[in-house]
Amino acid sequence: MDHDSDPRTDSATEADSDPRTDSTTEADSDPRTTYDRIASHFSKTREYPWPEIETFLDGASADDALDVGCGNGRHTELLADRATRAVGVDVSRGLLDEARARASARGFDAAFVQGDASALPVRGGRFDLALYVATLHHLRPRERRVRSLDELARALGPAGRALVSVWSVDHERFDATEGFDTTVDWTLPSGETVPRYYHIYDAAEFAADLESSALDVRESFVSSGNCFAVVRPD
Amino acid sequence: MKESLMDILCDPLDKSELELEVDERDGEEIIEGRLVGTVTGEVYPIEDGIPNLLPPDMREE
Repeated sequence: MDHDSDPRTDSATEADSDPRTDSTTEADSDPRTTYDRIASHFSKTREYPWPEIETFLDGASADDALDVGCGNGRHTELLADRATRAVGVDVSRGLLDEARARASARGFDAAFVQGDASALPVRGGRFDLALYVATLHHLRPRERRVRSLDELARALGPAGRALVSVWSVDHERFDATEGFDTTVDWTLPSGETVPRYYHIYDAAEFAADLESSALDVRESFVSSGNCFAVVRPD
Repeated sequence: MKESLMDILCDPLDKSELELEVDERDGEEIIEGRLVGTVTGEVYPIEDGIPNLLPPDMREE
């Protein structure tokens, strides 16, 4: 759904709103409501894919590829270049409309489906390649985050692999060294702010959530303030 | 959505098969219609070409 933890493009929009203790209600900051409200503006600030994703996908090919939390489709586009069929799933219809417009404007072919990362509407064992980028950190509570990792494992074929990323405490805007829940405001051009829930991860906690799931970690690293893991099904 | 997408979609609740009901199509593209869980009986709308396969309890938020 979002790639908003990208420190390379976010500063202009988010620098004025420091993370703070979560005081909003769950309904106020749930990812669907939030991203439906900010979809258009958000999408404009998410033009370019992350280099970590391009590296992961270098040389990859697939029949079916899945982008969980596809947002405006900037990474679905990379999958579409490498797969017979690319499928983007997002909780926000507003973002899916942005993704479809992007596909049309940039001439790539992908299917877009509204769905929840912790209850994926795709059959098991079908995907050779998947991305779950900057989305897991929006889910709560932890049980639901782990369930979404199990869902990713279910979707992958036996030889499938995926890249998972979350926002990390290592990011320069955070002082904490241990993972925590917070709300980060999105500021619309009108000045209106829209709260978004995050669980900011520390590396050990990210490893523990992956370990609790049906995914097997092949590689993990921290880059540009995000924790990444290359995973396969157990 | 393309009709061929049916081969990878499933009911988010129990992962069982879905049945496609079409109200409006443009070639292979389904514009309006619904996906119905063959086991759960849940109805998932297809609106302006995009299927809404959110679990029903998330749909009305």
